[in-house]
Amino acid sequence: MSEQPPIKLLLVDDEASLRQPLAEYLSRQGFVVRQAADASKARSALIDETPDLVLLDIMMPGEDGLSLCRHLIEAKKLPVIFLTARGEATDRIVGLEIGADDYVVKPFEPRELVARIRSVLRRSARQTTPPTVVDALYQFEGWELDPLKRRLSDPEGTVIPISSAEFRLLCAFLDHPRQVLDRDRLLDMVQGREAHLFDRAVDNQVSRLRRKMEDDSRDPRLIQTVWGGGYRLAADVRRVAQEAE
Amino acid sequence: MRRFLPRSLLGQMLLSVALALLAAQTLSGVLLFRAEQQRRENGLINALAFQLVADPRVDYRTGNGDAAHPESQRRRLRIERVLQSPIITGEMQDEARAERLRGLLTDQGIEIQDLVVLARPVAKDSYIMRGLTRMRSRNNFDNRDGWDPQGEMLLAGLKRAGEEEWLVARVPLPGAEPRRFSGVILQTLVLYIVLVGGLAFLLRRITRPLAALADRVEKFGETQEISGQLEPSGPEDMRRLITAHNAMESRISALLSEKDVMLGAIGHDLKTPLAALRVRIESVEDDTERERMAASIEDITRSLDDILSLARVGRPSDPLERTELSALVASVVEEYEDMGDDVVLGDSSRMALRLRATWMRRALRNLIGNSLRYGAKPVVSVMRDDDHALVRIEDTGPGIPTGEISAMMEPFTRGEASRNRETGGAGLGLTLARAIAEQHGGTLTLANRLDDSGKVIGLVAELRLPLD
Repeated sequence: MSEQPPIKLLLVDDEASLRQPLAEYLSRQGFVVRQAADASKARSALIDETPDLVLLDIMMPGEDGLSLCRHLIEAKKLPVIFLTARGEATDRIVGLEIGADDYVVKPFEPRELVARIRSVLRRSARQTTPPTVVDALYQFEGWELDPLKRRLSDPEGTVIPISSAEFRLLCAFLDHPRQVLDRDRLLDMVQGREAHLFDRAVDNQVSRLRRKMEDDSRDPRLIQTVWGGGYRLAADVRRVAQEAE
Repeated sequence: MRRFLPRSLLGQMLLSVALALLAAQTLSGVLLFRAEQQRRENGLINALAFQLVADPRVDYRTGNGDAAHPESQRRRLRIERVLQSPIITGEMQDEARAERLRGLLTDQGIEIQDLVVLARPVAKDSYIMRGLTRMRSRNNFDNRDGWDPQGEMLLAGLKRAGEEEWLVARVPLPGAEPRRFSGVILQTLVLYIVLVGGLAFLLRRITRPLAALADRVEKFGETQEISGQLEPSGPEDMRRLITAHNAMESRISALLSEKDVMLGAIGHDLKTPLAALRVRIESVEDDTERERMAASIEDITRSLDDILSLARVGRPSDPLERTELSALVASVVEEYEDMGDDVVLGDSSRMALRLRATWMRRALRNLIGNSLRYGAKPVVSVMRDDDHALVRIEDTGPGIPTGEISAMMEPFTRGEASRNRETGGAGLGLTLARAIAEQHGGTLTLANRLDDSGKVIGLVAELRLPLD
């Protein structure tokens, strides 16, 4: 890591009491951190220097975090992580909808924030698909997965609740339909923030997903086991652009 | 019987008015009928008495000798003079009428030796039948009295004291007269249309806004949405009621919005310094100390979330969505599995119902978390019970003293074990879980699990949710 140039972060939060210790903490973790107390200061900071990633408070006086976020994503193509005091689903969806890469709910564990920063940067580095495709719906065998809301619904339209790990695993299958994916490949693709939980058991996650999606999880039809150590999604997948609400 | 009765105000008032009107009309109809009968009866008796009294001693019809005048030819069938009693064998005297006639005649100063009154079919009376035939053949038939050969007649025979001859008077008995009844019925119908119809119109002006207001209150009670308020309509009192209700809705809604804004602000204002604190403790060198601090901050955060959720549970912002319950339960259980907690997913059958997944997860986490805190090895199962979905969380542990079960649901109540172990939480977990169950139209019950000997071996929490 020492050969690489240090990662530059821009931290935008109106609360100095949080901003300063957080900046100090992140500096200790090896990041180069610039601070901005509001949206306009953030904009001028962006003119001086382009950071690698922006940490953004969602609720700020003046121009709020959402509109600044839109500017960052659309004009600057910068990865963004939201800091939010409210953990409600709607906030998260709004944030993810305009293209934020991740979010943390205050009070967050600083180590978790660092893990997510690294994870987002890793993902954006190998991001090849244009971001507009990201929110398109997946459709397969009558099922539908909304990647934005992480909402899986069965052919009858009933919502099937799944965990984040299951969501990432399913996305991996849906991005590679009818392909055999071995455990290492799956692990590589789904490594997100739950990586430390996940690497223990790809098989475990697959069986959980089957329990929720298959009629008979001992005779799986959608997610099939391939002899020799791997899994395959036995379905064709369509991507459908979401209608604007 | 009860289900045939109208339940709305309009129906009940109309029914009672209609019944009252029916009673009044029946009563007046009966009275009218009886008065009419009385009048007719008096008329008959009077006619008989008049004939008997007015009968001249001398037959001036012949004495006057005005036979050329056609009017005198038109004779009405009147008095007959006979030597014997006019009773035909087998006929019955009409004593009641005879008594009244006797009274009338006596009042006129007539001394009665014998009096008979009886009813007889016209066809059996030879005098009238002969008279009718004669008059018809002479073509000067004067049926002013309305003789009908098919009808009945009333006959009175009088033998004055000291006379040989009987005077026999006859009047036709009028048949039953349905015309009068149909009059009453027609009158009732008209009254019904005018009164009930008018009343229905008036009442609708009151009850329609009232019913709309009742609907509105129900809807507002569910949603607390200010949109769709009623326009004041109907009579003045109704308008005032609706206006006052609208004002009250606005005040309630303003209070609730204020509460939401305030809670949002509290949440924000407390969570930011907590976040700052959480960052600052990372510089604490002592690992154990830092872990403890982090745990305390987590406790505060959890209590804060519980308090904020409890305040918002009655006014959820997210919609109900048809969701598969056993997958939801499984995903909550898996969270605990991933954290290394010993939670077992028992039997679970799939069933879809309309719910708010975020809230339901929270309720399940609170219940499972409680089981882990106070007991051990919770087993979570999902089953169908009639038209309800039933989520059971059974643990192994001390249970709850029987008397304290209902108190456990109250806010800020914590089990003894919790206080001793200094585990966190504001004591809102069960309160919140119950409120979430109620938000979904369901219930939450707690009970001790007993073994065969009646000893408490653990606690079972049952979350019962209505299926569609």
